[in-house]
Amino acid sequence: MGSWPSGMPRLRPGSVTLGRLDALGWRAGTCVEAYGLRIGVRTNVSELLDRLEAHLPPGWRPCPSPLVDQMFSLWVDPRSDGPSRPSRVYVGRRRRVRTPDVGRAFAVLESEIRQSVAASAVGRTFVHAGVVGWSGRAIVIPGRSRSGKTTLVAELVRAGAQYLSDEFAVLDARGRVHPFAKPLSIRGPGGCDLHARARRAEELGGTCATRPLPVGLVVLAEHRPGASWRPERLSPGRAVLEMLAHTVPARLRPEASLVSLERAVARAAAWKGERGEARELVPLLLESLESGEGRISRRSAGGRGTR
Amino acid sequence: MKPLARREGLLIRELPDELLVYDQADHRAHCLNRTAATVFRHADGTRTAAEIARLVAPEGADGEPAVAEALARLAEAGLLEKGPSPASLSRREAMRRAGLGAAVLLPAVASIVAPSPAEAAATCIYIQQNPTGCTGQSGTPCSCYGLPGSACSGTCLPTDTCSDC
Repeated sequence: MGSWPSGMPRLRPGSVTLGRLDALGWRAGTCVEAYGLRIGVRTNVSELLDRLEAHLPPGWRPCPSPLVDQMFSLWVDPRSDGPSRPSRVYVGRRRRVRTPDVGRAFAVLESEIRQSVAASAVGRTFVHAGVVGWSGRAIVIPGRSRSGKTTLVAELVRAGAQYLSDEFAVLDARGRVHPFAKPLSIRGPGGCDLHARARRAEELGGTCATRPLPVGLVVLAEHRPGASWRPERLSPGRAVLEMLAHTVPARLRPEASLVSLERAVARAAAWKGERGEARELVPLLLESLESGEGRISRRSAGGRGTR
Repeated sequence: MKPLARREGLLIRELPDELLVYDQADHRAHCLNRTAATVFRHADGTRTAAEIARLVAPEGADGEPAVAEALARLAEAGLLEKGPSPASLSRREAMRRAGLGAAVLLPAVASIVAPSPAEAAATCIYIQQNPTGCTGQSGTPCSCYGLPGSACSGTCLPTDTCSDC
């Protein structure tokens, strides 16, 4: 971690002041850039900076300037020691969490940094979605947190699909989806948060995509135990609308978001429905993509949604 | 009555058979199918509903019920400046009059509210609120960092089936 640029980050002139937060005795900080956003992170416990790299978004790089667009602050009670240390995470001057666990504070910090990048990325539209690649095209699975995206992505990767992301589909202006290959956040059995683990695609026997892919399939699949996959085919306009519901800068940059989404779905099939177990759905999705027109076979899909 | 569709504050994107409309005032987005899109385009305050119906329906078909339905849906979506109020139209009656022959003309307007960045990107992260009392077992009150009202319930999620717990 010796490559950290030295110097405490500070907000660009003209930014909102951080008020009393600036006086909390920050001892170490760094500046990085991701997707055009300059990010400052500071802490009052210097050693914690060494743990930061694992929590930075994919594609980050050191930024030599101390002037940043967004400031993140991690304050840990200096009188405590060990994993149970009262900690607070601030985004700008807003406290986002107070927790007795430094590890959880890092998890929140990581999530907040990713959210800021997703909202402010230059020239990219971030859609909350899992993404894998198959036969040179992307399968995009939009959905909220806990909708089963990661489970489905992990099963697709185990089946040989390339991993792009379990959190964001990063679209360019042409509608292609770029890798955002953070480790998969796989919860414990039964959706247990306490025993969630970060897993790299390679640990699942898969590989990561290294280049952008055109979208071949959009899948809106809500998990319901026991459900069978009988999806409704969405028109391009409905597919854009469904993806917009998970698009981070939808309100900030609606026109650019719509353009990216339109281009993304232009040559893609889009399906929406309830699914049962992820491993039952995987062969149907891969078959659907390989059919060339996103067709869901009558035999495997139970009849509905067949063209 | 000469219906007038809104134009102010809307982003409009044309797709081959549909129209996407983003309302910058309330951040709602709408997808209009072909019939609804045609009515929306021609509702310019100079044509009556009957005149729009002639543009919508193939020759010989009665397009008025479909136009009435489309106007009702556009009004519900807040996309009409001037037109019949949604309550003034009996859609069931209109569609009954239209019959099966007008099924291909059936107008549709699908709508969503665009999420804020925090809503779209929120990730639920379990935060232990009370380190001595909370074991992560199902139903224990915890604070979940994430989005209130989403799948994040504010209580620990079931760990009963977790072999590590």
